[in-house]
Amino acid sequence: MTPLLEVRDLTVRFRREEGEVMAVNHLSYGIERGETLGVVGESGSGKSVHALSVLGLVPQPPGRIAGGQVLFEGRDLLTLPPAELRNLRGGKIAMVFQDPISSLNPVYSVGFQIVESLRCHLGLRSGPAKRRAAELLDLVGIPDPKLRLRAFPHQLSGGMRQRVMIAMALACEPKLLIADEPTTALDVTIQAQIVELVKRLSRELQLTVMWISHDLGLVAGLAQRVNVMYAGFLVERGPVAALYERPLHPYMAGLLASMPRMDRRTEESLSAIAGRPPDLTRLGSGCPFAARCGLADQRCREEMPPLQEPAEAGRLVRCWHWQRMAEGAAGHA
Amino acid sequence: MPERRVLLQVRDLKTYFPITRGLLLRRAVGQVRAVDGVSFDLYRGETLGLVGESGSGKTTVGRSLIRLQEPTSGAILLDGEDDLTQLSGQALKQARQRLQMVFQDPYAALNPRMAVGAIVAEPLEVLGQLGRAERRQRVAELLDLVGLDPAFASRYPHEFSGGQRQRVGIARALAPEPDLIVCDEAIASLDVSIQAQVVNLLEGLQKRLGIAYLFIAHDLSMVRHISNRVAVMYLGHIMELADKAALHDDPQHPYTQALISAVPIPDPKVEKERRRIVLSGDIPSPANPPSGCVFHTRCARRSALCQAQVPELRALASGHYVACHHPGPPTSAG
Repeated sequence: MTPLLEVRDLTVRFRREEGEVMAVNHLSYGIERGETLGVVGESGSGKSVHALSVLGLVPQPPGRIAGGQVLFEGRDLLTLPPAELRNLRGGKIAMVFQDPISSLNPVYSVGFQIVESLRCHLGLRSGPAKRRAAELLDLVGIPDPKLRLRAFPHQLSGGMRQRVMIAMALACEPKLLIADEPTTALDVTIQAQIVELVKRLSRELQLTVMWISHDLGLVAGLAQRVNVMYAGFLVERGPVAALYERPLHPYMAGLLASMPRMDRRTEESLSAIAGRPPDLTRLGSGCPFAARCGLADQRCREEMPPLQEPAEAGRLVRCWHWQRMAEGAAGHA
Repeated sequence: MPERRVLLQVRDLKTYFPITRGLLLRRAVGQVRAVDGVSFDLYRGETLGLVGESGSGKTTVGRSLIRLQEPTSGAILLDGEDDLTQLSGQALKQARQRLQMVFQDPYAALNPRMAVGAIVAEPLEVLGQLGRAERRQRVAELLDLVGLDPAFASRYPHEFSGGQRQRVGIARALAPEPDLIVCDEAIASLDVSIQAQVVNLLEGLQKRLGIAYLFIAHDLSMVRHISNRVAVMYLGHIMELADKAALHDDPQHPYTQALISAVPIPDPKVEKERRRIVLSGDIPSPANPPSGCVFHTRCARRSALCQAQVPELRALASGHYVACHHPGPPTSAG
């Protein structure tokens, strides 16, 4: 079966005073129907920008889609006329962003905003739209949904606002939900509520989810498959269990080793990854992680490793030394 | 810790913020009880973790300790003698020299128009104990201590990354040779791979210089790693305070249990098996906190007693304090 969404060789650039930022570089992957894909990476890894470009939301200029295709149900979203793309957004592809307060319009009630989406995309009339909006609030676990339709965003807590955002995203029964750090602004106990909600919805509605996060712990409990991004490149991809247990890229291994765990005692100091991410306006020809990597040699600094396929099913890794990693080398310096 | 000498004793600290109405005739119409009767000891050379969700009052505790925020009432005893809440003028300045702070946002905490060397030298200038040449020497030592090249002293904050800026903030806090540094979400704005670097730096400095930290954070995993003891706050109250092993392995307060169970663990196998205690509802407003135990609105163990009476923070075992009428390990009801 063809994947629901297929990204092929996507490359995104941003023009800045200092030079051109190579935000996303030759990114290729697919999302299968019904799966939850986790996309992890630190700030500047290109994880959010790539999602925005999937939806045609990269401001151009200063942004520029320098190449590639994004195929959704056989159509390339990058060449779709704006009107059709607008129809798709909030329709078959829905989004939830990090900050619910800036995503909601403060001068309209949340009911009005959900109803607007239903009328616009599904052509529902006012009465049925209101009933559907109340159903949606109920679906995302908001108590007294009929009453809450009249609430304005500032009258709701952060967790409630994010539930409203999810309700709006689900309004038109999307096939794909793109969630960009949707719980980062929330407290952990509220985050746990939202995560349980999205898991339940993806099960009940057979929703395909792309969940973008910097939190490796969160993604571990949520995704079936994970993309790891660094400096705009996909550096590793695989099924969640194998990826966390045996990371093949020194960056992923280093990240996991540098994080203290709630369920473990750490008596020694953390094994930090030395250095910092590269300047994206000055990426050289070599591996972007080479300067921080304990396994790096001359070839790593000069030549970009291709995405390689280890024998293990479904895994991809962009590293010259993945075999040494598989044999148990500690890649991080 | 070999010897436990008390550095700070905090007793019934309350910090309220007035809610005002009216433009010309501003009158107080209520108050936000950000910190509402908090007591704890902080020992020399230890790291006390202070965790809680937004609105729990953890940051206000830190700011009240060094009088960046005036406490409403209560006492903060330094070395069992001076009450910090009563000091002013020269005496306050003297005391503050011993208590420093590292802030969350390394972009906002450093003056963009001052060179990094001048930023680190500023506390030394204020204290006025060193001459110009000695100050320059000391700044170089401090930058070296936090892992920055002393030659960077003439550069400006915008030339540094977030992690490096946080190192500058730490160097500035170290300048007056404090006994305590309040780290208010000091690593929260940094990327994962940089957080470990800064935490290792803080731990190394503690070993060498014997500084105590009040490590305020919402990231319980990191708090577990760095702290000797941990205090859990909720709506202006300390709910539980214990050695980190006791707090994590044998939490007694239902809120602590829910909080710990909500923290994701970067291990898919563990996550699959885990049973989460998902709290219903949100944290209530500190302007209108619930009666009795402030947690009772979200607690599965609540009884009539919880609604009527505020539970005291009492010792269940040596050094393990809990403010709950029904403490104990998690039940099936959560």
